[in-house]
Amino acid sequence: MAAVTLKNVVKRFGGFQIIHGADIDVNDGEFVVFVGPSGCGKSTLLRMIAGLEDISGGEIAIGGKVVNDVEPADRGIAMVFQSYALYPHMSVEQNLSFGLRMNGNPKADTERRVKRASEILRIAELMKRRPRQLSGGQRQRVAIGRAIVREPQVFLFDEPLSNLDAELRVQMRVEISRLHKELGVTMIYVTHDQTEAMTLADRIVVLRDGYVEQIGRPLDLYSDPDNQFVAGFVGSPKMNFIKARVLGHSASGVTVELAGGTRLTQPLNGPVPEPGSKVVVGVRPEHFGHAGKGDADLSVTIDVVEHLGGTSFLYTRTAAGDDIVIQRDAAEVPDAPEITVSIRKSYLFDDNGRRLR
Amino acid sequence: MRYQNATAYRFLAPYLLIFSIFWLWPIIGSFLISFQATRTVPWRFAPTFNWGRLIGDPAFFNALKNTLLILVIQVPVMITLAIVMAVLLNSPLLKARGLFRFAFFAPVVVGEVAYSAVFRLMFNLDYGIINKLLNSVGLPRIDWFSNVTPAMAVIIIAVTWRWAGYNAIILLAGLQSIPQDVYEAATLDRVSKLKQFFYITLPLLKPIIVFCAVLSIIGTMQLFTEPFLITERGGPGGGTETLGLLLYRQGFRSLNFGYASAIAYTMAGLAIAISLVQLWLTRDPK
Ligand SMILES: Nc1ncnc2c1ncn2[C@@H]1O[C@H](COP(=O)(O)OP(=O)(O)OP(=O)(O)O)[C@@H](O)[C@H]1O
Ligand SMILES: [Mg+2]
Repeated sequence: MAAVTLKNVVKRFGGFQIIHGADIDVNDGEFVVFVGPSGCGKSTLLRMIAGLEDISGGEIAIGGKVVNDVEPADRGIAMVFQSYALYPHMSVEQNLSFGLRMNGNPKADTERRVKRASEILRIAELMKRRPRQLSGGQRQRVAIGRAIVREPQVFLFDEPLSNLDAELRVQMRVEISRLHKELGVTMIYVTHDQTEAMTLADRIVVLRDGYVEQIGRPLDLYSDPDNQFVAGFVGSPKMNFIKARVLGHSASGVTVELAGGTRLTQPLNGPVPEPGSKVVVGVRPEHFGHAGKGDADLSVTIDVVEHLGGTSFLYTRTAAGDDIVIQRDAAEVPDAPEITVSIRKSYLFDDNGRRLR
Repeated sequence: MRYQNATAYRFLAPYLLIFSIFWLWPIIGSFLISFQATRTVPWRFAPTFNWGRLIGDPAFFNALKNTLLILVIQVPVMITLAIVMAVLLNSPLLKARGLFRFAFFAPVVVGEVAYSAVFRLMFNLDYGIINKLLNSVGLPRIDWFSNVTPAMAVIIIAVTWRWAGYNAIILLAGLQSIPQDVYEAATLDRVSKLKQFFYITLPLLKPIIVFCAVLSIIGTMQLFTEPFLITERGGPGGGTETLGLLLYRQGFRSLNFGYASAIAYTMAGLAIAISLVQLWLTRDPK
């Protein structure tokens, strides 16, 4: 088991800088998820930890040892690829044992490890099959099995579930969670799916365009985002963003005016923005209440209602043209097309997307 | 349903007609000719005339021996060379890949007569660049075209030069279809590049290698141009005469079509048989 430390890690492809000085500490035994939109550099970062890409600047340490110039096989890591990367011409058993056999590992030990992996992943009855005779979920299990057999200090996963259908994805997610508990080793997991990140992670690293936006526990990111990007990325449906203008401030905080004229006052500890400056008010769909029961009231027109059973989502629009998604109990969906709702909780961001708090 | 089938066949009829006249009929016709005595007109039906001659003809066995000898040496050497070339072509270290790909493929496009003339010049006893090179490193000159063994060597070298690049291009396509992440997984498994080649690349490339081998076997069984043009009609003294050349000599010099047909069917039969053995030997277990 080992901690993984990234210090000011930089990656350049030719003239393009892809990772701009990432500082990430992954504790021993922790499950950390790198999440971010497509192309933000998650895979690149993971492949640098694995040693499949070299490091243009900074330092990566695994188990306290700097590994910048250490061969991939000597880093004590195992990686599960998005495309599984199984050896197509070998049986499941051969896939699992290949690396050990090629390195002259004692036969009895190889067999023991393969057996253990097959038991953990419940693939014992598939051992004689070729990868093409397996379903996507089974292939994924074999790919994870191949990582387990190496008995690594750190597991690296690159979007391991993205080729599976929704139901299987949920099931495998639970299995990976269980695996983490069982093995107790450090795991770094890359995904662009925030639900996966929220459900699996001890801590999440949110990336955007090669910058680390925020690192924190799932619920901390959810309830206390550092910036508008993280606020919008974490949570589903997304947080609503409404344009507003600073009016002034008093003892109780800063007062802003939304586009429709609604006024909202929020306590503020940090520096207060100039009156007249533009800000963004963020409200999560579940933070709207009945009229008069929150910090401010907002009138909206309902476009579409989505019934999910217990809850419903109202897709609405303000008179000023802001799109707003509101979560309601199914029983409380109004008939009238126009409703007034209250804002029970909101976040304030400055013009650059930085959180004001 | 019936009616639809009939309509389909009516649409196919023009093709089937031409196919029968220019493809099917010559194949059947030439097979029938092999059962006729064609030394004298009128031809007459005599099943053992050609086939009986074949099994006792020293010229036939000489040509068969030469053809198989070339095949046994040339095909493995060329396929091995083609694999090496394909791997080099596929290397990310290689610059100007397009240029090399063209260069490897070019011999196939060059006219046979021109290429043969160049080979004759290169291996010329007095002025050839090969002998000059041998001389310059202190080795004696070789009279390539007057002795059987060097003449065979020239043919094998020429055929290999002409077709190795072609096979390398086919193999390259196969190499490029092997996903990169399989090699990355092997790297993480601490499998060396050499072992990756033998345990991953070769097994995954096997179907393409077999395909190339079968194509080459069929091609070499019919070998004609090189012994005809480079070693001047199978010289010295029939030492490089191949089945293709014997067929030509019987059919178009002696106008003995029956015997030529029998030789042609023997060549085709052998090519099929050897290819089948090859496929069987390299089949996937289970
Ligand atoms: N070998 C390469 N050469 C040049 N640029 C590259 C290379 N590999 C990746 N990039 C660039 O680096 C950036 C990050 O790529 P990366 O694959 O890490 O993204 P990602 O976050 O994993 O995205 P996704 O969710 O789509 O997998 C992209 O803009 C990509 O175009
Ligand atoms: Mg990726």
